[in-house]
Amino acid sequence: MKLLDITLQIYRYKQGEQPHYDTFTVQVEDTAHVIDAIDKVWAEHDHTLTFRRACHHSSCGSCALRINGVEKLPCITRFSEVGDGNIPLRIEPLRNFPIVSDLVVDVSGFFQRMSASDMSITRYAESTLPLSVDNLDEIVQPRAVVLPDNLTHFNRFENCIECGICMSACPTMAVDNKFMGPAGLAAIYCALQKTDDADEKAHLLALVDGEHGIWRCHSAFECTEACPQAVDPAGKIMALRREVTANRFKKVGRS
Amino acid sequence: MENRLTQEMMENPFAEEPKRSSTWYWQIFTGVALVLLLGLHFIANHFIATGGIRDFADVVSYLRNPIVLVLEVLFLIVVATHAMLGVRAIVMDFGISSQAEKRLSQVLTVIGVLTVAYGLWLTWAIIH
Amino acid sequence: MATLEQPKVRRAARWFDVRHRKLGMWAYALNRISGIGLVVYLYLHLVVLSTLSQGPGAWDAFVSLARQPYFLLLDVILLAGILIHGLNGLRIALTSFDVGVKRQKVLFSALMLVALVALSAAALKIFGG
Repeated sequence: MKLLDITLQIYRYKQGEQPHYDTFTVQVEDTAHVIDAIDKVWAEHDHTLTFRRACHHSSCGSCALRINGVEKLPCITRFSEVGDGNIPLRIEPLRNFPIVSDLVVDVSGFFQRMSASDMSITRYAESTLPLSVDNLDEIVQPRAVVLPDNLTHFNRFENCIECGICMSACPTMAVDNKFMGPAGLAAIYCALQKTDDADEKAHLLALVDGEHGIWRCHSAFECTEACPQAVDPAGKIMALRREVTANRFKKVGRS
Repeated sequence: MENRLTQEMMENPFAEEPKRSSTWYWQIFTGVALVLLLGLHFIANHFIATGGIRDFADVVSYLRNPIVLVLEVLFLIVVATHAMLGVRAIVMDFGISSQAEKRLSQVLTVIGVLTVAYGLWLTWAIIH
Repeated sequence: MATLEQPKVRRAARWFDVRHRKLGMWAYALNRISGIGLVVYLYLHLVVLSTLSQGPGAWDAFVSLARQPYFLLLDVILLAGILIHGLNGLRIALTSFDVGVKRQKVLFSALMLVALVALSAAALKIFGG
């Protein structure tokens, strides 16, 4: 185990001031990850550096940012992947989100999109109401969760940690505030797999069948490339297009 | 304790079903048709035509052929449609207001119709 | 809340920023650029064609211009735009119906290879006479 001198050029923005880059050098172990270097900058150099981090093992999605222009989770990015100390690391916040302070972006729009799919499959452990045998029916309105024969698509979305990297990588999210985005659309596809209620399915498909839903995607596939959890949002958007199209032909067939 | 999540979801624009959109199907349909129509147009005008380009007399006799006339007019309509839809797609990417979106479709429809009208007039002028 | 948001027009430049991007992004950027170019060409073409309504003299003058080498070069560039946009468009048509999505990068490479071959053959014919 050896020590590396890592130089970071970190994007800084405080409200009311001009954005700029600050350069810091910290010493870290070669087995550490980029988030550790950012932690050290905060601890040893500048307590005003604002960033998000929590689990340190790609589970929470908090720390997503860009390293040398590429979206990554710094908690699982080793220095060997990004130059091993030989090149300075440019650390910037995610694209396509408003920047609140330094590396922290406003993700409220992101969660607004995610909640459109109403993924309210609740497990008892997620309920915050006090549990007792008497009120179980009140707490949870169980929906019939029918597991499809092919579990791959179903399970894939379970991998999503809601980190926002796909939204940062997407060139349409860069310009269109009304776009649902790869994460939101993938969430709806997942919700579609989890229900066999015809009305629910029709509603979910209707949510995405608009100008700023699946039809605004221009097939750059950057979301799928950037996703650290192999969710394949682009694949799900294309699958939704297939589902929406098939649904239309069914309607035409019946009328 | 009030369920704030439900409140937020009621005001969530993404939770409202948008107007259904079919323009993408037209874009694909005209695009695939163009691979054929543009291919024919190109080959007929630049690879079959002697010297790679028709002189005036050749253009007139070419367009006086009824099959050619139908195909070229069809090509004109399809290419104008695809072009207008393409421009629309680019402008729609900016997330403009619903009013602006309507205005955009109207303007592009007018431009498209004018383009086809011009082409039809020109074709008629050449033939006669 | 005074958060930092860039103006929309500058953000559109991101459509064409292919640094650190994969093939799908290249396909998107190329398709958008070629599409814009082709729309511009469409109207240029229609304007040029208007000389046909002025009789043989005007049109034939254009024809001799169109035979110049630099003009032929422009034709090759036009053809490149057509081939890129058309072939990539077919890929987009396929993936839009959930066909070939998993192999979209290979599909792009293969189609661009076809475009290159077709373009080379056409260029030979155009300049070879």
